[in-house]
Formats: sequence, C-alpha cells, structure tokens
Amino acid sequence: MAFGKKKAAVAPKEEAKPQKKEELKDEKGKPLMHVKVYAPFKNYFDEPAYSISAENHTGPFDILPRHHNFMTLMSACEMKIVAPTGDKTIRITRAVMHVKADQVVVFLDV
Amino acid sequence: MRRPQEIAKDVATMSTMVNLTSVFESLASMRISQIKGKVQQSEKFFGELWNIYHQIRVDDTFRFGRAEQKKAHKKELRIAITAEGGFSGDIDQRLIRLMLEGYDKNLHDIIIIGHHGAVQLAQQGIEFKKYFKLPKQDEDINVEPITEEATQYDNTIAYYQSYQSLSVQNVKKMNLSKAVKEQGEASVEQIVNDEIISEQTYIFEPSTYEVVEHLERSMTSIILAQIVLESKLAQYASRFKAMTAAHERADDSLAEFRMMYNRSKRAIKDARLKEIVIGMRKVKAAREAKVEA
Repeated sequence: MAFGKKKAAVAPKEEAKPQKKEELKDEKGKPLMHVKVYAPFKNYFDEPAYSISAENHTGPFDILPRHHNFMTLMSACEMKIVAPTGDKTIRITRAVMHVKADQVVVFLDV
Repeated sequence: MRRPQEIAKDVATMSTMVNLTSVFESLASMRISQIKGKVQQSEKFFGELWNIYHQIRVDDTFRFGRAEQKKAHKKELRIAITAEGGFSGDIDQRLIRLMLEGYDKNLHDIIIIGHHGAVQLAQQGIEFKKYFKLPKQDEDINVEPITEEATQYDNTIAYYQSYQSLSVQNVKKMNLSKAVKEQGEASVEQIVNDEIISEQTYIFEPSTYEVVEHLERSMTSIILAQIVLESKLAQYASRFKAMTAAHERADDSLAEFRMMYNRSKRAIKDARLKEIVIGMRKVKAAREAKVEA
C-alpha cells in the first residue's frame, strides 16, 4: 500500500430515487405557487401567491397552483396577484408569462 | 500687488468652483454605480429569458424576431451610439472613425444615436438613414424604433463607448446577432435544469412560432438597451474623469489665491509697520534735535 492517506470507507451507493418536489402551501394548507414579476431594470413582485389573473389575445385567464406548463404573450391589462401578504395589481403593457412546476415568471416590457 | 479685497473675491469664486466640481464628481460617481447595478440586473433578466428561448428554439438561426417569410436587407446596418452634447473628449471622433472603416454607401446603412455623432457625420458629408437622440433617462429606455430597424437587416453592427474603468473608456463594435447568442450561451452554462420545451409538454398562446419571434425581438431590444446604457456609463465615467481633473485644478488655484491673499494682507501690514517705524524715527529725530537746540 502506498504511503499516504488511508482510503476512506465508501458507503454502498443507493439507487437515486426521483424526488417529488414539495408542494408550496400556506399555514391553512392552501396551495401556493411562486410568482416573480420583473422587468430588465426593476423587480415588481417575488413572493408566493394563490393566483394570478391577466389577459392575453384570447381573453382573460387565471393561473392557479398545479397549472399545466404554459407560455403566453400577454396583452395590455391590469394583472392581479392574490397573495398571502395581500392582493397586488400591476399594470402591464406587454409581457411574456412562463408557468412551470408552480413557478410563474412574468417578464415585463418584453 | 493686488489689494486683499480684490483677491478675496477670487478666493470666494474659486471656493464655489471647488464645491461645484466636487458635486458634479459625486453625481457622476453615483450615476456610475446606479447604472452598473442596472446593467448587472439586465444581464440576469436576459439570461433567464435566453434559457427559455434556448429550450424552445426550433433551429440554430437567430432571426431578430423576423418572420421566416420576410426577406432581410442585404446591406449591413451600422448603429453608432455617441454623446448628445460636447464635453466628451475625443472618444466620439474615435467611434466615428472606427465605424467608417471600410464604409461603402452601397453596402452599408448608418443609424446614428446622439447629436454629437450626427454633427460629425454631417461635417464629413456622410449620409445616415436615421438619427435618434440619446435618451436622457437611465431607466425605461425605449429602443423599439432601433430594434424595428435592426430586424430588417441580416447583419447589424453596433458601435459604442465601452466602460473599462473610471479612467479608461474604449470604443467597441458588436455584431448584434452574435452578441445575443454569445451572451445567452454564457448564461445558459450556469443553468442546470435545461429541458426541451415543446408543444407536447407546454401550452403556447398564441403559438410556438409567435412566442419565439417575440422572444427574439425582445432579446435584441435588451441587448440594444444594454449597449445604450454602457455608452452612458462610459460617458459618465468620462465626465467623472474631467470633473476630478477640474476639481484638482480648482483646489490648486484656491490654494494659490489664498496664499496671494495672505501675502497681500501681510504686505499691507508690513507697509503700515514701516510707515509707523519711519514716523517714530522722524518723531525721535525731531525730539533729539529739540534737545540739542
């Protein structure tokens, strides 16, 4: 055996199990999703929320937790976010919304 | 020698100058730190947007948001971002010189941003397609009209002032299409969860192609806004440099004026003392003459 450090005992590898992402919930167990609304030079919202209501070219729509993966070009409207910290309304002229795994990102002014 | 009252006025003027240059220096420094933060935030925003675009991209061609059926200009578009006014040193001249390297009016179109550059081109008798004012504000820069022009060309090169440090500002050129790809790919390296976004896994509204087209246009706009901001950053740095030099000169002049003022006051005191001594000597001599008589 070569002089030097003792070889450390290696634990047998466990098979990697697909980890289920923990669902975001409030104190009462109501499902939440993480919402981030920002523009290239400003952050408008970055918190958990219950829902988002906005408009695209097909009309008004709502996003709730567990929504299917979704991507849309948004129309000029007042976007309403219902959050545990209170409701927030953000006026938008144009934006892109990306929804995936309870993560909603709204890119404003693009 | 000048009288102290006259010099005192110069001292007061120079003190004001020292204060003013100091204020301008601080303002420029404050703007620099603000803009640097904004550029970093914008780069992060661009990175996230690129990540999405990268996952849904249908092929390797970046079309600046131009629909496939639309044909692009064969000419090359050159966009130069210069200062709005003077006091920018020779940097704008260097920028225009760089832009005009290999210029041929049959092969290139020019869009100029900033009055200083427009004047220089007019002096050289070079026509430009469009002129835009450099935006005064550092936020909400609307680059839509320039993006609109850039989308009509296959190849667009932007010439701008680049910030290296507070003391060094350079002129640079950037191929917009390559820049969008390079900046995007640099940010993609940091992103681990790279998945393919397709119509099988996502709902697109209005359609995949329209979303991709929109993202391409948006990213071109963000890059252009970043270039405009970087030019402004370089201009503020240049102004900071000029104000620091002016502040130092004003400080030196103030010290000189103060010394002149003190010398002048001392000279008057000396003259008075001399007069008193001479007067006393005369009085003494008169007394001695009286005693002798």
